[in-house]
Amino acid sequence: MAIKKLLFASLLICSMIQSSHGATKERLFTDLEKGALEVTATPSRTGQGVILAAGVDKLSITWKVSSKATKEPEFKTIKVKLCYAPVSQVDRPWRKTENELFKDKSCPHKISSFSYDPTVKTAQSFDYTLERDIPTGTYYVRAYAVDAKDHEVAFGQSTNENKTTDLFSVQAISGRHKSLDIASVCFSVFSVVALLVFFVNEKRKAKIEQSK
Amino acid sequence: MAQNNEDEGSIGTSMHGVTAREQVFSFSVQGEEDGPSSRTVRFDDPTAKFALPVDSEHRATAFKPFSFARPHMRAFHLGWISFFTCFISTFAAAPLVPIIRDNLDLTKSDIGNAGVASVSGAIFSRLAMGAVCDLLGARYGTAFLLMLSAPTVFSMSFVSDAGGYLSVRFMIGFCLATFVSCQYWTSVMFNGKIIGLVNGCAGGWGDMGGGVTQLLMPMVFHVIKLTGATPFMAWRIAFFVPGFLQVIMGILVLTLGQDLPDGNLSTLQKRGEVSKDKFTKVFWYAVLNYRTYVLFLLYGFSMGIEMTINNVISEYFFDRFQLELHTAGMIAASFGMANFFARPLGGYASDISARFFGMRGRLWTLWILQTSGGIFCVWLGRATSLPIAILAMMLFSVGVQAACGAIFGIVPFVSRRSLGIISGLTGAGGNFGSGLTQLIFFSSSRFHTADGLSLMGIMGMIFTLLVAFIHFPQWGSMFFGPTSDEKKSKEEHYYAAEWTEEEKRQGLHEGSLKFAENSRSERGRKAASDRSSPSMPPEGGNPAHV
Repeated sequence: MAIKKLLFASLLICSMIQSSHGATKERLFTDLEKGALEVTATPSRTGQGVILAAGVDKLSITWKVSSKATKEPEFKTIKVKLCYAPVSQVDRPWRKTENELFKDKSCPHKISSFSYDPTVKTAQSFDYTLERDIPTGTYYVRAYAVDAKDHEVAFGQSTNENKTTDLFSVQAISGRHKSLDIASVCFSVFSVVALLVFFVNEKRKAKIEQSK
Repeated sequence: MAQNNEDEGSIGTSMHGVTAREQVFSFSVQGEEDGPSSRTVRFDDPTAKFALPVDSEHRATAFKPFSFARPHMRAFHLGWISFFTCFISTFAAAPLVPIIRDNLDLTKSDIGNAGVASVSGAIFSRLAMGAVCDLLGARYGTAFLLMLSAPTVFSMSFVSDAGGYLSVRFMIGFCLATFVSCQYWTSVMFNGKIIGLVNGCAGGWGDMGGGVTQLLMPMVFHVIKLTGATPFMAWRIAFFVPGFLQVIMGILVLTLGQDLPDGNLSTLQKRGEVSKDKFTKVFWYAVLNYRTYVLFLLYGFSMGIEMTINNVISEYFFDRFQLELHTAGMIAASFGMANFFARPLGGYASDISARFFGMRGRLWTLWILQTSGGIFCVWLGRATSLPIAILAMMLFSVGVQAACGAIFGIVPFVSRRSLGIISGLTGAGGNFGSGLTQLIFFSSSRFHTADGLSLMGIMGMIFTLLVAFIHFPQWGSMFFGPTSDEKKSKEEHYYAAEWTEEEKRQGLHEGSLKFAENSRSERGRKAASDRSSPSMPPEGGNPAHV
């Protein structure tokens, strides 16, 4: 009986959870048009060994549709994302690059998206302040051109094909705060002291009872 | 006068209390012949002040889960809720790992090693806990664990790298020894005839904490984020919740709880009413019994696998099926929540099979439950669609959790004298198994997590074959019957063998003999036919003492 209830409940849970998109399963990264967009990303501080601070430093990002782009009439939206460089993917399978687009996890951080205006042919640029939930790592910027059905058709990135040039490093915020540290110490001390008070008190009461 | 204890013991003939050299319990009724320990209360008995019916040792003989009456039911509830709270703290990090791994820049090895560390501390603390409870009483044992590990939970706010994360999870893990203090507390409060059910409920409902935390922590995290905190700070604040719960429970245990049915340990000890066995002896007999090690390994692949899943399943569903954090948490929670009925169910199944087939039934039940758990674990790793994965996970959870309950249906019969230590050692085996499986399958990039799950299931099934090696001379094993030796096939021989001649002369083994008589039910249906032909002289030509 309990097993039946369990199976029913599990079926309910399954039906409540959104299923993965059906048609996108077969769309592959290798099908996208490479280099259709020319993207550059310039950090606000550059130089050898400079590490950008999340929440503080900025990226100046420019993108332009390349003259070689063949699928240009399909472009509806341009989505710009922050992607992990290979060095930040080592021993971290949750950031793995996969060919199937819906499985690919190398570009999880959305920067911005713009609706595409085919009449404007010049390069578009904007500033992006690194969000405070960006983890520590090495990154590059990629822009996807998306069609009316919200399917990616082309892309361009700020680094080369092997993702070795023009990378920049980010240091995440620590997430720590002095108020947290103080609260933590206070409650810890309270816990230990309360225990000791109870213990000593009870020992004293037992001694009194024994001496009676 | 030396009595001959190689016969079927002097049950029903002992003149307990007459020579004043017997072991004194916390409150003993003087004079009369002592029947089996569960006797109904007489009307002029001072035990009438208890809300539940009690036996001669003032242990409750009835179990009423909805009551909070002191001291028995109150001890039960305080015990299991303390254990539940510690499970919440130990596995609180697991559903938040997707956030923590970004904040601290962790690799898969870092996460795996921290998971191993989180269960390793308790191997040692569970071993020591039995002795601590003997010294301080169950109340202070529990409260010490709760309130001294609360600072470790709060110290998550200081963690800034993989090393710190690992150390804090290691230190928090020590509080899982509340399993031992909880079972110890219920064992002194409840009579042996119902202790299986009581311990199954306490253990199962406490284990539920591992499931509840997968729901609770993402929810708390989400609420804190809504107030404006960044994710990397919100998860640290979320850890204050299990910390508070621990401190509150510690205070409740100290103010509302009571060590023994008649009062608190320090008061009773000073009155000279409680005596204890020698630790070295108890430890020695536990270590000499080979079944201890078999149970250690078996529990490692039922409870151990369960704890490993608590650590890895949320992240697994999050990554493999691209779910939201709280959705993955909800699914992971249903694994742990199945404990509510699954573990008591396992204990109950063990008891039912014992009624028909005796100890052999218990062993087969254990083997069937644990092996089916292993099979469904393999299936879970193979599942590529979400509904199938959830179904496999639910069946898997019932299998392993019921196996945990079934193991503790067998533990009380392995030894009477060393029951506490063997329970503690078995519990420690659970943590050992968890650390081992996490280390082998989930700490390196050698296996995809899905393959790790399947391989863990296979390893579990292989180790479960060890059940076949548990053999009792008086009851047999899975494949062999009881020994044909006339002397050794008596329960009394097995349990009295844990006492030296000198101790038997002092009558210290009385409790074991009583237990041996009651354990005759482990012969299965044959025990009923044994009773009709008296196997012992009713009036006893051998009085136990002069």
